[in-house]
Amino acid sequence: MISANYLHPKKTRKMKMKNPVSPNFASDDGGHFGEFGGRFAPEMLMPALIELEEIYKECQQDEAFQKEFFDCLKTFSGRPTPLLYAENLSKHLGGAKIYLKQEGLGQTGSHKINNAIGQALLTKRMGKKRVIAETGAGQHGFATATVCAKFGLQCEIFMGAVDIKRQRPNVFWMEQLGAKVHPVEFGQKTLKDAVNAALKDWITNVETTHYLLGSALGPHPYPSMVRDFQSVIGIEIKQQVKEAENKLPDTIIACVGGGSNSMGAFNAFLHEDVQLIGIEAGGKGLESNQHAIRFKGGKVGVVEAYKSFFLQDEDGQLKETHSIAAGLDYPGVGPQLAHLQKEKRVSFEHTTDDEVVDALKTVMKYEGIIPALESSHAIAHTIKIAPTLPKDHVIVTNVSGRGDKDIFLIAQALKDDKWFEFLQSQLDERNKNE
Amino acid sequence: MTNGLNFCNRNWMKEIKMSKISDKIKSLDHKGLMTHVVIGYPSMAETEETIYTMANAGVSLIELQIPFSDPIADGPTIMEACRVSLENGTTVKQCMELMARVSKKVDVPLLFMSYYNIVFNYGVQKFCEDAKKAGVSGLIIPDIPPEENKDGFYEACDKSDLDAILILAPVSTPERINIIKNNAKGFIYCTARMSTTGSKEDIPEDTKTFLTKLKKTIDLPLSIGFGISKPEHVAFIKDYADIIVIGSKVIDIMNENKKENRQDAIASFLKSILKEC
Ligand SMILES: Cc1ncc(COP(=O)(O)O)c(C=O)c1O
Repeated sequence: MISANYLHPKKTRKMKMKNPVSPNFASDDGGHFGEFGGRFAPEMLMPALIELEEIYKECQQDEAFQKEFFDCLKTFSGRPTPLLYAENLSKHLGGAKIYLKQEGLGQTGSHKINNAIGQALLTKRMGKKRVIAETGAGQHGFATATVCAKFGLQCEIFMGAVDIKRQRPNVFWMEQLGAKVHPVEFGQKTLKDAVNAALKDWITNVETTHYLLGSALGPHPYPSMVRDFQSVIGIEIKQQVKEAENKLPDTIIACVGGGSNSMGAFNAFLHEDVQLIGIEAGGKGLESNQHAIRFKGGKVGVVEAYKSFFLQDEDGQLKETHSIAAGLDYPGVGPQLAHLQKEKRVSFEHTTDDEVVDALKTVMKYEGIIPALESSHAIAHTIKIAPTLPKDHVIVTNVSGRGDKDIFLIAQALKDDKWFEFLQSQLDERNKNE
Repeated sequence: MTNGLNFCNRNWMKEIKMSKISDKIKSLDHKGLMTHVVIGYPSMAETEETIYTMANAGVSLIELQIPFSDPIADGPTIMEACRVSLENGTTVKQCMELMARVSKKVDVPLLFMSYYNIVFNYGVQKFCEDAKKAGVSGLIIPDIPPEENKDGFYEACDKSDLDAILILAPVSTPERINIIKNNAKGFIYCTARMSTTGSKEDIPEDTKTFLTKLKKTIDLPLSIGFGISKPEHVAFIKDYADIIVIGSKVIDIMNENKKENRQDAIASFLKSILKEC
């Protein structure tokens, strides 16, 4: 059983690193992780952010809140999620022992539900009735729409018009669940613009509305709070690997959009001797300028109310990004990850669109599971390094979501004619009936 | 360990919080009027012309917005103007050059408005020095609250004798009002409503209460903006503030008029506003 009060800050900080000088990876009271993070918000949002911080601190100490959160994770979302020993894949690659943490098996098909539940409970506590959220891949929007239905909250989702096209199945479910989905038509019409649109709505409606931000980014307290709600992932990994292998994992790999599934997976291991690798969206490659490789391709800036690495030009104007995965297609990265990168505690790699599609095919073939395109980035890197590692080396790769939502994109990437014939037949039938 | 807040350490005396800008406002025999342009919209040449139109009309202060790709406090009108300007290739360097040109020709205090990423990327110290050299009197950067002064933004403003204009909103708590009051210089920018920028049909009645409350504890001039777009708005609110701010409305007028009529349309609009000031 998982202890019910891991949100309590003191319970998570036990140092066991070999490195004698253990830096403090958590934030200071102002939400700064070293030089990153903070709360660079317009005055209109400052009171709401301060209120949120205070309520969150209260909840960290409140056992009733913890219990409700855990009950919900268990009975509504289906935790703990299983840890699968990917035996066939490991043998096929002939190196490290690969485990897959199956976040996609929870309610709504991704890790995003953990944070959505936590923040929905906070919203109730604040007495707010309206929730807004941004979404890229639609997984966070889907999770938010679900918890809003469950807790009786009014739900409005901001989603880039480009992403609405890419992730139609999630849009469909959000709307069926009673959420209003607003297409964002400005900028690049993807995740960053959805965050901007949500912030603008929040400025206007801050007194009645909670902004249920979906990743470990944005102004303080979001990066810490979202991380804490997601850290159940790493806590489970620790127990499950201990049961299976009677040791800690050697390596944990997770994809990095804003940083919620990766921080969730990493958080329990920051002070342990475990290698942590974050995988960014390589898109069409670093040289192509069509990617979301923030660390190698970007520089420090202050955007969307936090300081971190952003893809931007000399003047600080944000650059366009690209990834096959709508959830990784974001020009910034969570501030704690920026700090962990600088402190060399987490290393970052990237995998390209093509490698990701290949990895997806491989894992379907050998393990019979269908990961989301986002998560397939982490798998692609796992496939790259596993053969170079000894057989007793344990890798845990976080499969942050399942791939059902990507059926249209994957059918396109795999050039599956039968799928398009099916779509055509559906249309023909509808036209005939009208 | 720090407590995480990086307040500036300036220990101002009351007197030095006043500045060229606040002196100018206090010396007026009518309410001040601050107008706004997005640099490079619809073109650099028209921005320059518009600034002269504003100065000739008799405005008291002009905000020159350096366009940023992700302006979170701005509504659709200014966002679109920023997008067009950036698409035209506007750079921060060009904005500095424009500022240097116009500040020599007009006798109105000029401010840069932008977002912190622009200042941070330019180099905080250097941005302030170059802005000063270009003739700027103050900066309006809505996303650098006094608590986030790790890069020394507020000291850099002081050193270059620039007023860092702070903002208060109807939701600002007494604690926030205190923080802002203690760090403000020049004037305090009060927003008439909870919204992003953009012209609106009316001004909420509570705006008067909000300003009255602030007036009781704040000596610096107060400006009121966000949504003000008509002479009636000015008449409604002017007794409660020292400076009226008109932003998006001028851009609306640009958008509604053909190029050859724009300057006249702006001039006659400003005349109608100034009559109420
Ligand atoms: C399945 C899945 N994985 C990963 C991500 C990336 O976000 P984060 O880095 O916050 O985990 C998303 C975002 O939409 C997602 O849907």
